[in-house]
Amino acid sequence: MMELLPQALTDGILLGGIYITIAIAFSLTYGVMHVIDFAVGEWIMFGAFTGYYLNKWTGLDPFLFLPVIFVLYFGVGYVIQPVIHRVLSGTKGNPFLMGLVFTFGLAIMFRGLALTAFGFYSNSIPSAFSEGSFDLEPLGLTVTIPTVRLVGLCYALAITLILHYLLKKTNFGLGVRALAQHKDAAGLMGVNSKRTGSYVYGIYVGISAMTGVLLGCILSIGAQMGNEYTIFAFFVVVLAGMGYLAGVPWAALLLGLVQSIFMIYFNPSHTLLAVFAILYIILLISPRGLFGKGV
Amino acid sequence: MKNRGATILAIIGAALLILPLVVHDTFVLRVLTEGVMWIGLAIAFDVIAGYTGYLNFGHGAFFGIGAYTIGILMMQANLPFWAALPLGGVAAAIVALIAGIPTLRLKGAYFAIATWALSRAIQQLALNVEFTGGPDGMRLEAFLNPQFFYYLMLITVGATFAILWYLLERAPFGLKLKAIREDEEGAKALGLNPTKLKMQSFILSALPTGILGGIYAYWITFIDPSSTLGDLVSDQAVVMVVFGGMGTLFGPALGAILIFAFKTIFWAYLSDFQLLYLIILGALIAISVIFIPNGLWGTMVKRKAGATRPEQKAEPASEPAALSAVAAPEEGN
Repeated sequence: MMELLPQALTDGILLGGIYITIAIAFSLTYGVMHVIDFAVGEWIMFGAFTGYYLNKWTGLDPFLFLPVIFVLYFGVGYVIQPVIHRVLSGTKGNPFLMGLVFTFGLAIMFRGLALTAFGFYSNSIPSAFSEGSFDLEPLGLTVTIPTVRLVGLCYALAITLILHYLLKKTNFGLGVRALAQHKDAAGLMGVNSKRTGSYVYGIYVGISAMTGVLLGCILSIGAQMGNEYTIFAFFVVVLAGMGYLAGVPWAALLLGLVQSIFMIYFNPSHTLLAVFAILYIILLISPRGLFGKGV
Repeated sequence: MKNRGATILAIIGAALLILPLVVHDTFVLRVLTEGVMWIGLAIAFDVIAGYTGYLNFGHGAFFGIGAYTIGILMMQANLPFWAALPLGGVAAAIVALIAGIPTLRLKGAYFAIATWALSRAIQQLALNVEFTGGPDGMRLEAFLNPQFFYYLMLITVGATFAILWYLLERAPFGLKLKAIREDEEGAKALGLNPTKLKMQSFILSALPTGILGGIYAYWITFIDPSSTLGDLVSDQAVVMVVFGGMGTLFGPALGAILIFAFKTIFWAYLSDFQLLYLIILGALIAISVIFIPNGLWGTMVKRKAGATRPEQKAEPASEPAALSAVAAPEEGN
């Protein structure tokens, strides 16, 4: 069994890398706009299906579509955000919980739409990277790395670096960070909170949809895939601490490792149970996430 | 005003009691039984979601736990139904207790997520262990008496309604829960113990749900993870309560009746309704959040109150009004 461990760890890190992209944009939207988007898995699912059909119609490699899908879903997010903003800035009831309920409703609706349009079948997106793999032999142990997963990890690193640059080095990022700290004060300093919120939500939806294409190449796509990824996104973000971006990569890697270890050593269908057990234990010990820096 | 409400309730109750004597159609009785069950599920859900302000997106888990507990106790431990039924509620309450310890310390959104993930995990558990029958589900000993189940459901839901109405609308308990919903720190400052109160309301929400799940299992005689532990139970409960109006007992009951009636009518006419129904449910939540955040009942009652008591309009702007909202949170509603 021990000789499987390096493989399990490698797979875990490669998978965890992709989970970073699911969670980091999700965490950013929470931090800036206080939206907890229950539809995160459904954006991933829609992205995956868009990639699947674009590939089917044009025959081109799905990786070439990523920018197109980003632009498309950025637009979708940009259009939807004002509605969420309206719900959140309402005065009746509890606006924050209403925002949660709203995206919960969106998630149910999207799942229904996808099931109606695509049915219950599951598929995968063919890519030139899908077949290839190469072996590494550190310390005499053979570790197989599927090319597509390595590409996925590179994509995740690229997205993380771009977001980091955007947030820390640009004026737009300065506005976003100001907005996250204090909405009214940022408004007084000339940050247009509505438009910035729309950009952030658009970026988040765009990244989620792109990640969906990658997940479709690596694993499989189906109308009900969203559920699982919503849980994963929450797992990562809750563990990292809500709105604490720096914790996201570590929590995502942890999730990837848990999943791959369960795949190899235990029953793969118990992964969700294990994920919940770990979440439960960590929340018992530290309710504000692994690093105690959440909200 | 109050007397009129009581009279209307009494008339509805009497009508519901007499109905099976008049209606002999099994299908109609079956629909009524399920409708009554949904009223019970919606008001139980509202205890933690509407009154305490902690949205439980995994309400269906308690329903499924009740159903499975009764199934397992009856079919594997050979317990009679009446002995198993309360245990279904107890099992749901125990799960609420265990799950509540870490999750209720979390703020609103965390809690919603955690309960939602919990219900997914419980569904996985039911799919993967031996004694639930896994994905094949479980068949219960059949007891085919529509009248019996109608009355059992009606009495259970009626009793739940009465108990919850007393606790939440008449006893101080309801005010304490609303205080937590409005301002948890403020409630603490007033000397309340939010942790204990939240736990009590979570258990109070789970217990009747588990019992209803048990009755449902014995009535339907076949349960499987997708029918009792699936998303649909939780999703419907959320829609009924948000659409009807959170934080009241009549709102969720109204929402449950309307949505269940809608579902039943369309189910009969459209063969492809099952998938369409998901879209409609989702759209309905989203639309009611935007246009009627207080729900149908809340909007109706507000309108009425506004029409009969115009002197209240001047109040909210002044500072003391905001303070009194914390001290007497029922006014915030």
